[in-house]
Amino acid sequence: MDIIAILAYVILFTTIGTMVIGVFAYFAFKLRDKRKPGKNRSDETMDVGGPLEPVFLERYVPGVTTDLAVQPATDDR
Amino acid sequence: MEIRKVGRYAWRYGWAALTVCAVFTLLALSYEAVQDARSAIMILLQNWALAAITFYLLIFLVLLIFRFALLILYSFMDHLESLYKERDKSAVLYREDSSLPMISLVVPAYNEGPVIQAAMRALLALDYPNYEIIVVDDGSTDDTYEKAMVVASESVALEVRVVTKRNGGKADALNTGMTLARGEFVLNMDGDTKLSPNALRACIRHFENPKVGAVAGNVKVINRENMWTRIQALEYVEGLAMARKAQSFGRVVNIIPGPLGMFRKSVLQQVGGYDRDTFAEDCDLTLKLLMRGWHIEYEPTAIAWVETPSHLLDLLQQRYRWTRGILQATRKHSQALWQPRKAGINCYILWYMMFEGVMWPISNIVGNLFFIFVALQYDVTFVLFFWWLQLMLLDVVAAAYCVVIEEEEPSLIFYAIVFRLFYINIIDISKVFATIEEWRGKAMTWGKLEREGKL
Repeated sequence: MDIIAILAYVILFTTIGTMVIGVFAYFAFKLRDKRKPGKNRSDETMDVGGPLEPVFLERYVPGVTTDLAVQPATDDR
Repeated sequence: MEIRKVGRYAWRYGWAALTVCAVFTLLALSYEAVQDARSAIMILLQNWALAAITFYLLIFLVLLIFRFALLILYSFMDHLESLYKERDKSAVLYREDSSLPMISLVVPAYNEGPVIQAAMRALLALDYPNYEIIVVDDGSTDDTYEKAMVVASESVALEVRVVTKRNGGKADALNTGMTLARGEFVLNMDGDTKLSPNALRACIRHFENPKVGAVAGNVKVINRENMWTRIQALEYVEGLAMARKAQSFGRVVNIIPGPLGMFRKSVLQQVGGYDRDTFAEDCDLTLKLLMRGWHIEYEPTAIAWVETPSHLLDLLQQRYRWTRGILQATRKHSQALWQPRKAGINCYILWYMMFEGVMWPISNIVGNLFFIFVALQYDVTFVLFFWWLQLMLLDVVAAAYCVVIEEEEPSLIFYAIVFRLFYINIIDISKVFATIEEWRGKAMTWGKLEREGKL
Protein backbone atom coordinates (compact mmCIF):
# COMPACT_ATOMS: atom_id res chain seq x y z
CA MET A 1 0.00 0.00 0.00
CA ASP A 2 1.58 3.32 -1.03
CA ILE A 3 1.64 6.53 0.98
CA ILE A 4 -1.24 8.10 -0.97
CA ALA A 5 -3.53 5.16 -0.18
CA ILE A 6 -2.63 5.30 3.52
CA LEU A 7 -3.20 9.06 3.66
CA ALA A 8 -6.48 8.60 1.79
CA TYR A 9 -7.74 6.20 4.47
CA VAL A 10 -6.57 8.54 7.25
CA ILE A 11 -8.52 11.41 5.65
CA LEU A 12 -11.56 9.19 5.08
CA PHE A 13 -11.80 8.08 8.72
CA THR A 14 -10.98 11.55 10.05
CA THR A 15 -13.63 13.17 7.87
CA ILE A 16 -16.31 10.68 8.90
CA GLY A 17 -15.28 10.99 12.57
CA THR A 18 -15.25 14.79 12.65
CA MET A 19 -18.59 15.03 10.86
CA VAL A 20 -20.16 12.71 13.42
CA ILE A 21 -18.55 14.73 16.24
CA GLY A 22 -19.83 17.90 14.58
CA VAL A 23 -23.44 16.69 14.59
CA PHE A 24 -23.26 15.44 18.19
CA ALA A 25 -21.50 18.61 19.36
CA TYR A 26 -24.17 20.76 17.71
CA PHE A 27 -27.01 18.91 19.45
CA ALA A 28 -25.09 19.01 22.74
CA PHE A 29 -24.77 22.78 22.43
CA LYS A 30 -28.47 23.15 21.60
CA LEU A 31 -29.40 20.96 24.56
CA ARG A 32 -27.21 23.01 26.89
CA ASP A 33 -28.65 26.23 25.47
CA LYS A 34 -32.21 25.08 26.10
CA ARG A 35 -31.58 24.12 29.71
CA LYS A 36 -32.06 27.37 31.56
CA PRO A 37 -33.18 28.23 35.06
CA GLY A 38 -36.87 29.06 34.96
CA LYS A 39 -39.17 30.84 37.37
CA ASN A 40 -41.64 27.98 37.30
CA ARG A 41 -39.10 25.38 38.27
CA SER A 42 -39.50 24.25 41.81
CA ASP A 43 -36.72 23.07 44.05
CA GLU A 44 -37.81 20.58 46.71
CA THR A 45 -34.69 21.25 48.78
CA MET A 46 -35.27 25.02 48.90
CA ASP A 47 -35.87 26.83 52.21
CA VAL A 48 -39.59 27.15 52.94
CA GLY A 49 -39.13 30.91 53.14
CA GLY A 50 -38.29 31.02 49.42
CA PRO A 51 -35.33 32.73 47.77
CA LEU A 52 -33.93 35.72 49.64
CA GLU A 53 -33.70 39.09 47.90
CA PRO A 54 -30.69 41.25 48.78
CA VAL A 55 -31.99 44.06 50.99
CA PHE A 56 -29.04 46.44 51.27
CA LEU A 57 -27.37 45.88 47.90
CA GLU A 58 -30.06 46.88 45.48
CA ARG A 59 -28.53 48.36 42.37
CA TYR A 60 -29.36 51.84 41.18
CA VAL A 61 -31.05 51.80 37.78
CA PRO A 62 -31.70 55.16 36.12
CA GLY A 63 -35.34 55.84 35.30
CA VAL A 64 -36.75 53.49 37.90
CA THR A 65 -38.52 55.22 40.77
CA THR A 66 -37.50 53.82 44.10
CA ASP A 67 -38.19 54.95 47.62
CA LEU A 68 -34.91 56.73 48.35
CA ALA A 69 -35.71 56.92 52.05
CA VAL A 70 -35.18 53.21 52.45
CA GLN A 71 -32.44 52.83 49.82
CA PRO A 72 -28.74 53.15 50.57
CA ALA A 73 -26.81 55.93 48.80
CA THR A 74 -25.21 54.77 45.56
CA ASP A 75 -21.77 55.76 44.34
CA ASP A 76 -22.85 56.23 40.75
CA ARG A 77 -21.29 59.24 39.13
CA MET B 1 19.48 44.08 17.74
CA GLU B 2 19.45 44.28 13.94
CA ILE B 3 20.87 40.76 13.64
CA ARG B 4 18.16 39.42 15.94
CA LYS B 5 15.49 41.12 13.82
CA VAL B 6 16.92 39.64 10.62
CA GLY B 7 17.07 36.25 12.32
CA ARG B 8 13.41 36.51 13.32
CA TYR B 9 12.42 37.40 9.78
CA ALA B 10 14.52 34.55 8.33
CA TRP B 11 12.90 32.13 10.79
CA ARG B 12 9.37 33.24 9.85
CA TYR B 13 9.98 33.43 6.09
CA GLY B 14 11.92 30.16 6.20
CA TRP B 15 9.06 28.32 7.86
CA ALA B 16 6.51 29.79 5.49
CA ALA B 17 8.58 28.85 2.41
CA LEU B 18 9.29 25.36 3.77
CA THR B 19 5.62 24.63 4.42
CA VAL B 20 4.50 25.81 1.01
CA CYS B 21 7.27 23.75 -0.63
CA ALA B 22 6.21 20.67 1.36
CA VAL B 23 2.59 20.98 0.29
CA PHE B 24 3.52 21.51 -3.36
CA THR B 25 5.81 18.48 -3.24
CA LEU B 26 2.94 16.40 -1.88
CA LEU B 27 0.73 17.72 -4.65
CA ALA B 28 3.33 16.85 -7.30
CA LEU B 29 3.67 13.33 -5.89
CA SER B 30 -0.07 12.85 -5.86
CA TYR B 31 -0.27 13.99 -9.49
CA GLU B 32 1.30 10.69 -10.50
CA ALA B 33 -1.36 8.80 -8.56
CA VAL B 34 -4.06 10.82 -10.33
CA GLN B 35 -2.55 9.89 -13.70
CA ASP B 36 -2.57 6.20 -12.76
CA ALA B 37 -6.13 6.34 -11.50
CA ARG B 38 -7.60 8.35 -14.36
CA SER B 39 -9.96 5.56 -15.31
CA ALA B 40 -11.19 5.25 -11.71
CA ILE B 41 -11.89 8.99 -11.58
CA MET B 42 -14.21 8.53 -14.57
CA ILE B 43 -16.56 6.88 -12.04
CA LEU B 44 -17.47 10.42 -11.03
CA LEU B 45 -19.09 10.90 -14.45
CA GLN B 46 -20.85 7.53 -14.45
CA ASN B 47 -24.38 8.86 -14.01
CA TRP B 48 -26.00 12.28 -14.18
CA ALA B 49 -26.35 12.72 -10.39
CA LEU B 50 -22.66 12.04 -9.73
CA ALA B 51 -21.67 14.20 -12.71
CA ALA B 52 -23.87 17.09 -11.53
CA ILE B 53 -22.38 17.10 -8.02
CA THR B 54 -18.86 16.75 -9.44
CA PHE B 55 -19.52 19.71 -11.74
CA TYR B 56 -20.92 21.78 -8.82
CA LEU B 57 -17.90 21.00 -6.64
CA LEU B 58 -15.58 21.87 -9.51
CA ILE B 59 -17.26 25.29 -9.86
CA PHE B 60 -17.00 25.76 -6.09
CA LEU B 61 -13.30 24.90 -6.17
CA VAL B 62 -12.66 27.36 -9.02
CA LEU B 63 -14.53 30.08 -7.07
CA LEU B 64 -12.50 29.26 -3.97
CA ILE B 65 -9.18 29.46 -5.82
CA PHE B 66 -10.32 32.74 -7.39
CA ARG B 67 -11.32 34.04 -3.94
CA PHE B 68 -7.98 33.18 -2.34
CA ALA B 69 -5.99 34.60 -5.26
CA LEU B 70 -7.97 37.83 -5.31
CA LEU B 71 -7.80 38.35 -1.55
CA ILE B 72 -4.06 37.71 -1.41
CA LEU B 73 -3.48 40.06 -4.36
CA TYR B 74 -5.59 42.92 -2.97
CA SER B 75 -4.37 42.51 0.59
CA PHE B 76 -0.78 42.64 -0.65
CA MET B 77 -1.60 45.81 -2.59
CA ASP B 78 -3.11 47.30 0.56
CA HIS B 79 0.02 46.28 2.45
CA LEU B 80 2.20 48.07 -0.10
CA GLU B 81 -0.06 51.12 0.04
CA SER B 82 0.21 51.33 3.84
CA LEU B 83 4.02 50.98 3.62
CA TYR B 84 4.06 53.81 1.10
CA LYS B 85 1.85 55.99 3.32
CA GLU B 86 4.08 55.30 6.31
CA ARG B 87 7.03 56.59 4.34
CA ASP B 88 5.16 59.67 3.13
CA LYS B 89 4.32 61.30 6.44
CA SER B 90 4.35 64.88 5.12
CA ALA B 91 0.61 64.89 4.43
CA VAL B 92 -0.42 63.94 7.97
CA LEU B 93 -2.93 66.41 9.42
CA TYR B 94 -3.10 65.15 13.00
CA ARG B 95 0.65 65.23 13.60
CA GLU B 96 0.71 67.55 16.63
CA ASP B 97 -0.72 66.29 19.90
CA SER B 98 -2.65 69.53 20.35
CA SER B 99 -4.41 69.04 17.01
CA LEU B 100 -5.63 65.54 17.82
CA PRO B 101 -9.43 65.39 18.15
CA MET B 102 -11.20 63.98 21.17
CA ILE B 103 -12.12 60.30 21.08
CA SER B 104 -14.79 58.71 23.28
CA LEU B 105 -14.18 55.07 24.10
CA VAL B 106 -17.43 53.20 24.66
CA VAL B 107 -17.13 49.92 26.55
CA PRO B 108 -20.38 47.95 26.76
CA ALA B 109 -20.19 45.38 29.52
CA TYR B 110 -22.56 42.60 30.47
CA ASN B 111 -21.26 40.15 33.07
CA GLU B 112 -17.64 40.95 32.24
CA GLY B 113 -16.59 40.82 35.91
CA PRO B 114 -13.51 38.62 35.40
CA VAL B 115 -12.05 40.80 32.62
CA ILE B 116 -13.43 44.34 32.94
CA GLN B 117 -10.68 45.68 35.21
CA ALA B 118 -7.83 44.43 33.01
CA ALA B 119 -9.56 45.87 29.95
CA MET B 120 -10.12 49.26 31.62
CA ARG B 121 -6.56 49.47 32.99
CA ALA B 122 -5.26 48.85 29.46
CA LEU B 123 -7.44 51.74 28.29
CA LEU B 124 -5.97 54.07 30.91
CA ALA B 125 -2.51 53.39 29.47
CA LEU B 126 -3.34 54.28 25.87
CA ASP B 127 -0.94 56.56 24.05
CA TYR B 128 -3.27 59.43 23.13
CA PRO B 129 -3.62 62.90 24.66
CA ASN B 130 -7.34 63.55 24.29
CA TYR B 131 -9.83 60.82 25.15
CA GLU B 132 -12.50 59.76 27.60
CA ILE B 133 -13.77 56.34 28.67
CA ILE B 134 -17.45 55.49 29.04
CA VAL B 135 -18.26 52.08 30.51
CA VAL B 136 -21.89 51.08 30.02
CA ASP B 137 -22.93 48.31 32.39
CA ASP B 138 -25.81 46.64 30.60
CA GLY B 139 -27.61 45.43 33.72
CA SER B 140 -24.98 42.83 34.64
CA THR B 141 -25.94 40.24 37.21
CA ASP B 142 -22.36 39.89 38.44
CA ASP B 143 -19.96 42.48 39.93
CA THR B 144 -19.05 44.17 36.63
CA TYR B 145 -20.36 47.57 37.74
CA GLU B 146 -18.60 47.50 41.12
CA LYS B 147 -15.31 46.41 39.55
CA ALA B 148 -15.56 49.09 36.87
CA MET B 149 -16.20 51.71 39.57
CA VAL B 150 -13.00 50.67 41.38
CA VAL B 151 -10.87 51.32 38.27
CA ALA B 152 -12.80 54.55 37.53
CA SER B 153 -11.97 55.89 40.99
CA GLU B 154 -8.26 55.09 40.45
CA SER B 155 -8.11 57.35 37.39
CA VAL B 156 -7.12 60.93 38.15
CA ALA B 157 -5.86 62.40 34.91
CA LEU B 158 -8.42 60.82 32.64
CA GLU B 159 -12.19 61.05 32.78
CA VAL B 160 -13.80 57.64 33.22
CA ARG B 161 -17.58 57.44 33.42
CA VAL B 162 -19.35 54.28 34.50
CA VAL B 163 -23.07 54.15 33.90
CA THR B 164 -25.48 51.37 34.57
CA LYS B 165 -28.76 50.68 32.82
CA ARG B 166 -31.39 48.03 32.47
CA ASN B 167 -30.29 45.08 30.36
CA GLY B 168 -31.16 45.86 26.77
CA GLY B 169 -28.51 44.07 24.72
CA LYS B 170 -25.18 45.12 23.29
CA ALA B 171 -26.64 47.39 20.60
CA ASP B 172 -28.61 49.29 23.25
CA ALA B 173 -25.53 49.68 25.46
CA LEU B 174 -23.45 50.98 22.54
CA ASN B 175 -26.18 53.47 21.63
CA THR B 176 -26.28 54.68 25.23
CA GLY B 177 -22.50 55.15 25.13
CA MET B 178 -22.74 56.99 21.81
CA THR B 179 -25.33 59.37 23.27
CA LEU B 180 -23.10 60.14 26.24
CA ALA B 181 -19.96 60.53 24.10
CA ARG B 182 -18.49 64.01 23.92
CA GLY B 183 -15.79 63.23 21.41
CA GLU B 184 -15.89 63.92 17.70
CA PHE B 185 -14.93 60.28 17.19
CA VAL B 186 -16.28 57.22 18.97
CA LEU B 187 -14.33 54.02 19.51
CA ASN B 188 -16.60 51.08 20.20
CA MET B 189 -15.12 48.00 21.76
CA ASP B 190 -16.07 44.97 23.85
CA GLY B 191 -15.78 44.71 27.60
CA ASP B 192 -13.43 41.74 27.28
CA THR B 193 -10.99 43.49 24.96
CA LYS B 194 -7.52 44.81 25.63
CA LEU B 195 -6.31 47.48 23.17
CA SER B 196 -2.73 48.01 22.05
CA PRO B 197 -1.38 51.38 23.30
CA ASN B 198 -1.10 52.83 19.76
CA ALA B 199 -4.69 51.91 18.78
CA LEU B 200 -6.14 55.44 18.90
CA ARG B 201 -3.26 57.16 17.10
CA ALA B 202 -3.21 54.45 14.43
CA CYS B 203 -6.95 54.65 13.72
CA ILE B 204 -7.40 58.42 13.81
CA ARG B 205 -4.98 58.91 10.89
CA HIS B 206 -7.51 57.34 8.53
CA PHE B 207 -10.04 60.10 9.19
CA GLU B 208 -7.83 62.62 7.40
CA ASN B 209 -9.81 61.42 4.41
CA PRO B 210 -13.30 62.96 4.80
CA LYS B 211 -14.90 60.05 2.92
CA VAL B 212 -13.83 57.59 5.63
CA GLY B 213 -16.70 57.01 8.04
CA ALA B 214 -15.18 54.23 10.12
CA VAL B 215 -12.02 52.22 10.71
CA ALA B 216 -11.87 48.54 11.62
CA GLY B 217 -9.12 47.39 13.95
CA ASN B 218 -7.08 44.21 14.03
CA VAL B 219 -8.32 41.50 16.42
CA LYS B 220 -5.93 38.93 17.88
CA VAL B 221 -6.40 36.01 20.21
CA ILE B 222 -4.78 36.43 23.62
CA ASN B 223 -5.53 33.01 25.17
CA ARG B 224 -3.55 30.70 22.84
CA GLU B 225 -3.60 27.87 25.30
CA ASN B 226 -5.03 24.84 23.50
CA MET B 227 -5.77 23.53 20.01
CA TRP B 228 -9.14 25.30 19.74
CA THR B 229 -7.82 28.73 20.64
CA ARG B 230 -4.69 28.36 18.48
CA ILE B 231 -6.76 27.47 15.44
CA GLN B 232 -8.99 30.45 16.18
CA ALA B 233 -5.83 32.59 16.37
CA LEU B 234 -5.02 31.46 12.84
CA GLU B 235 -8.60 32.07 11.71
CA TYR B 236 -8.50 35.63 13.06
CA VAL B 237 -5.13 36.28 11.41
CA GLU B 238 -6.39 34.94 8.08
CA GLY B 239 -9.73 36.71 8.27
CA LEU B 240 -8.11 40.04 9.04
CA ALA B 241 -4.73 40.00 7.33
CA MET B 242 -6.17 38.61 4.14
CA ALA B 243 -9.90 39.34 3.88
CA ARG B 244 -10.15 42.69 5.73
CA LYS B 245 -6.90 43.97 4.25
CA ALA B 246 -8.10 43.13 0.74
CA GLN B 247 -11.45 44.83 1.40
CA SER B 248 -9.63 47.81 2.86
CA PHE B 249 -7.86 48.30 -0.47
CA GLY B 250 -11.31 49.04 -1.94
CA ARG B 251 -12.39 50.92 1.26
CA VAL B 252 -15.23 48.43 1.66
CA VAL B 253 -14.49 46.48 4.84
CA ASN B 254 -17.70 44.50 5.37
CA ILE B 255 -17.52 43.91 9.13
CA ILE B 256 -16.11 46.38 11.62
CA PRO B 257 -15.28 43.96 14.43
CA GLY B 258 -17.02 44.47 17.77
CA PRO B 259 -13.72 44.49 19.72
CA LEU B 260 -12.32 47.53 17.89
CA GLY B 261 -14.06 49.93 15.56
CA MET B 262 -13.69 53.69 15.37
CA PHE B 263 -16.44 55.89 13.90
CA ARG B 264 -17.16 59.51 13.20
CA LYS B 265 -19.86 60.32 15.74
CA SER B 266 -21.77 62.29 13.09
CA VAL B 267 -21.85 59.19 10.89
CA LEU B 268 -23.16 57.03 13.73
CA GLN B 269 -25.89 59.59 14.34
CA GLN B 270 -26.67 59.80 10.63
CA VAL B 271 -27.33 56.07 10.35
CA GLY B 272 -29.22 55.97 13.65
CA GLY B 273 -26.63 54.01 15.64
CA TYR B 274 -26.95 50.29 16.19
CA ASP B 275 -30.20 48.49 15.39
CA ARG B 276 -31.48 45.78 17.69
CA ASP B 277 -33.05 43.56 15.06
CA THR B 278 -30.02 41.37 14.32
CA PHE B 279 -27.59 39.31 16.38
CA ALA B 280 -24.62 40.77 14.48
CA GLU B 281 -25.05 44.46 15.26
CA ASP B 282 -21.49 45.23 14.12
CA CYS B 283 -22.06 43.67 10.68
CA ASP B 284 -25.44 45.41 10.36
CA LEU B 285 -23.99 48.82 11.23
CA THR B 286 -21.12 48.32 8.79
CA LEU B 287 -23.56 47.50 5.99
CA LYS B 288 -25.64 50.58 6.87
CA LEU B 289 -22.50 52.73 6.53
CA LEU B 290 -21.51 51.10 3.25
CA MET B 291 -25.03 51.53 1.81
CA ARG B 292 -24.78 55.26 2.54
CA GLY B 293 -21.51 55.43 0.62
CA TRP B 294 -19.09 55.85 3.51
CA HIS B 295 -15.61 54.42 3.07
CA ILE B 296 -14.44 51.92 5.68
CA GLU B 297 -10.76 51.13 6.13
CA TYR B 298 -8.78 48.60 8.14
CA GLU B 299 -5.88 49.44 10.45
CA PRO B 300 -3.63 46.41 11.07
CA THR B 301 -1.45 48.07 13.71
CA ALA B 302 -4.38 48.94 16.01
CA ILE B 303 -4.73 45.65 17.85
CA ALA B 304 -7.54 44.44 20.09
CA TRP B 305 -6.60 41.37 22.13
CA VAL B 306 -9.60 39.19 22.87
CA GLU B 307 -10.36 36.02 24.79
CA THR B 308 -11.82 33.36 22.51
CA PRO B 309 -13.83 30.26 23.52
CA SER B 310 -11.49 27.52 24.68
CA HIS B 311 -14.13 24.77 24.71
CA LEU B 312 -15.92 23.24 21.74
CA LEU B 313 -19.49 23.93 22.84
CA ASP B 314 -18.74 27.58 23.63
CA LEU B 315 -17.12 27.92 20.24
CA LEU B 316 -20.15 26.41 18.50
CA GLN B 317 -22.42 28.76 20.43
CA GLN B 318 -20.39 31.75 19.21
CA ARG B 319 -20.29 30.59 15.58
CA TYR B 320 -23.99 29.78 15.62
CA ARG B 321 -24.77 33.35 16.70
CA TRP B 322 -22.33 34.88 14.18
CA THR B 323 -23.75 32.83 11.32
CA ARG B 324 -27.37 33.71 12.08
CA GLY B 325 -26.48 37.33 12.83
CA ILE B 326 -24.63 37.79 9.55
CA LEU B 327 -27.51 36.16 7.65
CA GLN B 328 -29.98 38.49 9.39
CA ALA B 329 -27.89 41.54 8.48
CA THR B 330 -27.49 40.34 4.88
CA ARG B 331 -31.24 39.74 4.57
CA LYS B 332 -31.94 43.19 5.98
CA HIS B 333 -29.93 44.78 3.18
CA SER B 334 -30.83 42.16 0.58
CA GLN B 335 -32.32 44.67 -1.86
CA ALA B 336 -28.72 45.51 -2.82
CA LEU B 337 -28.16 41.87 -3.88
CA TRP B 338 -30.39 42.35 -6.92
CA GLN B 339 -29.46 45.93 -7.85
CA PRO B 340 -25.85 45.86 -9.06
CA ARG B 341 -26.17 49.18 -10.86
CA LYS B 342 -27.71 51.05 -7.95
CA ALA B 343 -25.81 49.36 -5.13
CA GLY B 344 -22.48 49.23 -6.97
CA ILE B 345 -19.72 47.54 -5.00
CA ASN B 346 -22.12 46.87 -2.07
CA CYS B 347 -23.88 44.32 -4.28
CA TYR B 348 -20.63 42.35 -4.65
CA ILE B 349 -19.91 42.69 -0.92
CA LEU B 350 -23.26 41.09 -0.11
CA TRP B 351 -22.73 38.28 -2.62
CA TYR B 352 -19.29 37.70 -1.13
CA MET B 353 -20.89 37.44 2.32
CA MET B 354 -23.45 34.97 0.99
CA PHE B 355 -20.62 32.90 -0.51
CA GLU B 356 -18.66 32.88 2.77
CA GLY B 357 -21.65 32.39 5.04
CA VAL B 358 -23.83 29.99 3.08
CA MET B 359 -22.21 28.48 0.00
CA TRP B 360 -18.83 27.70 1.52
CA PRO B 361 -19.97 25.65 4.56
CA ILE B 362 -22.68 23.86 2.57
CA SER B 363 -20.25 23.01 -0.24
CA ASN B 364 -17.67 21.72 2.23
CA ILE B 365 -20.21 19.36 3.76
CA VAL B 366 -21.67 18.33 0.39
CA GLY B 367 -18.11 17.69 -0.87
CA ASN B 368 -17.20 15.58 2.14
CA LEU B 369 -20.41 13.53 2.04
CA PHE B 370 -20.12 13.05 -1.71
CA PHE B 371 -16.53 11.86 -1.64
CA ILE B 372 -17.19 9.62 1.39
CA PHE B 373 -20.04 8.03 -0.56
CA VAL B 374 -17.87 7.60 -3.67
CA ALA B 375 -15.01 6.20 -1.57
CA LEU B 376 -17.21 3.62 0.13
CA GLN B 377 -19.38 2.76 -2.86
CA TYR B 378 -16.74 2.48 -5.58
CA ASP B 379 -13.64 1.91 -3.42
CA VAL B 380 -11.85 5.01 -4.71
CA THR B 381 -10.72 6.53 -1.41
CA PHE B 382 -8.04 8.69 -3.00
CA VAL B 383 -10.58 11.10 -4.58
CA LEU B 384 -11.50 12.27 -1.06
CA PHE B 385 -7.81 12.69 -0.35
CA PHE B 386 -7.28 14.82 -3.50
CA TRP B 387 -10.31 16.95 -2.65
CA TRP B 388 -8.97 17.46 0.88
CA LEU B 389 -5.44 18.11 -0.40
CA GLN B 390 -6.54 20.91 -2.70
CA LEU B 391 -8.48 22.67 0.06
CA MET B 392 -5.60 22.14 2.48
CA LEU B 393 -3.15 23.58 -0.05
CA LEU B 394 -5.21 26.78 -0.25
CA ASP B 395 -5.37 26.97 3.56
CA VAL B 396 -1.63 26.47 4.00
CA VAL B 397 -0.67 29.01 1.32
CA ALA B 398 -3.05 31.56 2.89
CA ALA B 399 -1.73 30.81 6.39
CA ALA B 400 1.90 31.17 5.28
CA TYR B 401 1.13 34.48 3.58
CA CYS B 402 -0.75 35.83 6.62
CA VAL B 403 1.94 34.75 9.09
CA VAL B 404 4.53 36.67 7.07
CA ILE B 405 2.38 39.79 6.58
CA GLU B 406 1.12 39.89 10.19
CA GLU B 407 4.52 38.91 11.65
CA GLU B 408 2.83 36.10 13.55
CA GLU B 409 4.13 32.84 15.06
CA PRO B 410 5.23 30.42 12.28
CA SER B 411 3.70 27.54 14.28
CA LEU B 412 0.28 28.83 13.24
CA ILE B 413 0.95 27.49 9.71
CA PHE B 414 0.85 23.96 11.14
CA TYR B 415 -2.64 24.65 12.47
CA ALA B 416 -3.86 25.19 8.89
CA ILE B 417 -3.56 21.40 8.48
CA VAL B 418 -5.37 20.73 11.76
CA PHE B 419 -7.94 23.32 10.71
CA ARG B 420 -8.75 21.40 7.53
CA LEU B 421 -8.44 17.96 9.13
CA PHE B 422 -10.73 18.41 12.17
CA TYR B 423 -11.86 21.90 12.95
CA ILE B 424 -13.68 23.14 9.87
CA ASN B 425 -15.85 20.02 9.51
CA ILE B 426 -17.21 20.50 13.02
CA ILE B 427 -17.72 24.25 12.62
CA ASP B 428 -19.32 23.95 9.18
CA ILE B 429 -21.95 21.52 10.48
CA SER B 430 -22.93 24.07 13.11
CA LYS B 431 -23.02 26.83 10.47
CA VAL B 432 -25.25 24.78 8.18
CA PHE B 433 -27.66 24.01 11.04
CA ALA B 434 -27.66 27.71 11.96
CA THR B 435 -28.48 28.61 8.32
CA ILE B 436 -31.35 26.12 8.27
CA GLU B 437 -32.73 27.45 11.57
CA GLU B 438 -32.44 31.03 10.36
CA TRP B 439 -34.25 30.09 7.15
CA ARG B 440 -37.00 28.42 9.21
CA GLY B 441 -37.19 31.50 11.44
CA LYS B 442 -36.47 29.67 14.69
CA ALA B 443 -36.20 31.88 17.79
CA MET B 444 -32.75 32.37 19.31
CA THR B 445 -31.04 34.05 22.26
CA TRP B 446 -27.79 35.99 22.49
CA GLY B 447 -25.91 33.17 24.24
CA LYS B 448 -23.43 35.04 26.40
CA LEU B 449 -20.06 33.31 26.79
CA GLU B 450 -18.60 32.82 30.24
CA ARG B 451 -15.34 34.74 30.59
CA GLU B 452 -12.30 33.05 32.07
CA GLY B 453 -10.36 36.24 32.84
CA LYS B 454 -7.36 35.55 30.59
CA LEU B 455 -6.77 39.21 29.66
